[in-house]
Amino acid sequence: MVDLSIKIKNVEFSNPVLVASGTFGYGNEVNELVDVNRLGGIVTKSITLHPREGNPPPRMVETPSGLLNSIGLANIGVERYISEMLPYYEELDTNVIMNIAGSSLQEYITILERVEGTSNYLSGYEINISCPNVEKGGLEFGVDCDLTLALTKELRKRTDKLLIMKLSPNVTDIASIAKAAELGGVDAISAINTVVGMSINPQTRKQNIFTGLSGLSGPAIRPVGVANVYKIFDAVDIPIIGIGGITSADDVVEYLLAGATAVQVGTANFRDPGIGIQIIKQLFEYCEEHNVPSIRELVGAIRDED
Amino acid sequence: MKIEVASISGNKEIARGIWKMDFDCPNIANNVSGPGQFINIKVDPSWEIPLRRPMSIAGVKGEKITIIYKLFGKGTKMLSELRPGQSINILGPLGNMFSTSDKDSFPILVGGGVGIAPILWLHNELNIKSVSHILIIGATTAEEHFLQHNPNKNIFLTTDDGSMGELGTVVPTMESKLKEVTSRSFGIIYACGPTPMLKAIHRITTGYKIDCQMALESYMGCGIGICQSCVIERKNDSPKEHSYGKRFSLVCRDGPVYSADKVILSSRYFKVSGKKT
Repeated sequence: MVDLSIKIKNVEFSNPVLVASGTFGYGNEVNELVDVNRLGGIVTKSITLHPREGNPPPRMVETPSGLLNSIGLANIGVERYISEMLPYYEELDTNVIMNIAGSSLQEYITILERVEGTSNYLSGYEINISCPNVEKGGLEFGVDCDLTLALTKELRKRTDKLLIMKLSPNVTDIASIAKAAELGGVDAISAINTVVGMSINPQTRKQNIFTGLSGLSGPAIRPVGVANVYKIFDAVDIPIIGIGGITSADDVVEYLLAGATAVQVGTANFRDPGIGIQIIKQLFEYCEEHNVPSIRELVGAIRDED
Repeated sequence: MKIEVASISGNKEIARGIWKMDFDCPNIANNVSGPGQFINIKVDPSWEIPLRRPMSIAGVKGEKITIIYKLFGKGTKMLSELRPGQSINILGPLGNMFSTSDKDSFPILVGGGVGIAPILWLHNELNIKSVSHILIIGATTAEEHFLQHNPNKNIFLTTDDGSMGELGTVVPTMESKLKEVTSRSFGIIYACGPTPMLKAIHRITTGYKIDCQMALESYMGCGIGICQSCVIERKNDSPKEHSYGKRFSLVCRDGPVYSADKVILSSRYFKVSGKKT
């Protein structure tokens, strides 16, 4: 019998396959198609203090084996999240992790405190630190070790729940950012967020996404994700959740071997909302076929030599 | 909403660049509500084409669904290469539908370019219900038409080059028919087609103060509301629905059919650029 379960901090996951923030809405949109309880967990769409309309269109464009998107954090805001979504999550039999985005240190703190002040069944928080800090001239939290450390410390003080920092690959040294987060007391690192990209229409000479620069995701960035997980695994002792272009169990195993304890499936949900469940089934078959009694054995188990 | 692997029973070019595909998909067909609804097709099992292609339903007969699509880019090219007997992964039915009233409104249906499918389905539904109506379909030239111009049956085809039916776009024909209709009934317009056509139609229907329902297009990621990509700009007084604010509306969940006075067709964001190829 294959054991797909994993544990991060005190949170048990029936399997290591979660769905990534921004690629699965709030988890209730796909009820008719997917039994979300079979997923290892759901990371919900980034929540900000106030509701956000998001960016004008076009917000998305296809690229080779991937997508560029710039949605602009369209979301319902923390108050509606608390009143409308938290009661729904109470009924679910899977881990729900809330993704939080802020434009200042205080905004992250306020959101987290507001949710911590409710009785809720969230398994934890994932912090989107690829957000511009208005107090530092728009510098993203996630590109600076000191900002990452300060943010982590402040949030850590305010919750005992699972706390995850989601790192951006658009930095010079992702390992040092991961170390800063570890020093600040996070329980896990998720990596990677989207890779900065751009696409221009040669006929019209216009940019294909309203904001110009946008985030690349999908299989196109999988090698970037795997490389970053590999670098982070070398640098920290806390678990890593691998993200970037996962479409199959083989992709999951690739991330685990590079050092991830769990993974998040993202862009593939747009094609197949049930892909996460299919991957879990494939993962089970992989383990049977390769005599892997526990999926945990694969973490960081890349072979250096024959 | 279901995902179903459908078996293709027919796929052929019915006019220049215009294709018709039929497939058996009982689960989806049985859940269809009416014209305006669409399905989302996974055209490419590999990731060369990452996203599904939304296609308006052109008809449902028993367990069979028909789509009519225009060859536009690599996605529709790939679709056109599929043969009967092959299977295809479909997500649907999605979206809302044209709302038709029982009152004697004598509707005018206007379709152009890729916007023929839902209009044709509505035309057939109205025929079944014996609702008198006018059908106007536009194309650039005669070879792109697959219907017959038949004024006696209230079917009017237009061509930009005058090679078939009325010369010009659908707009002047629609306006002249509208004058006839509104002199004896309420009049209502159902439209689907390119943005300039929809804008022109909206200008006219606003002048005549008659209702106009439009099936809109947008660059769609998922079709089910999770990616939040396919927004159009709407009038701010519209109630918020599936999108998270008041300014933008998700075409996949709130639409694709909108009352023309609820959306801002003149919005600089409402454009067909960035169309999937």
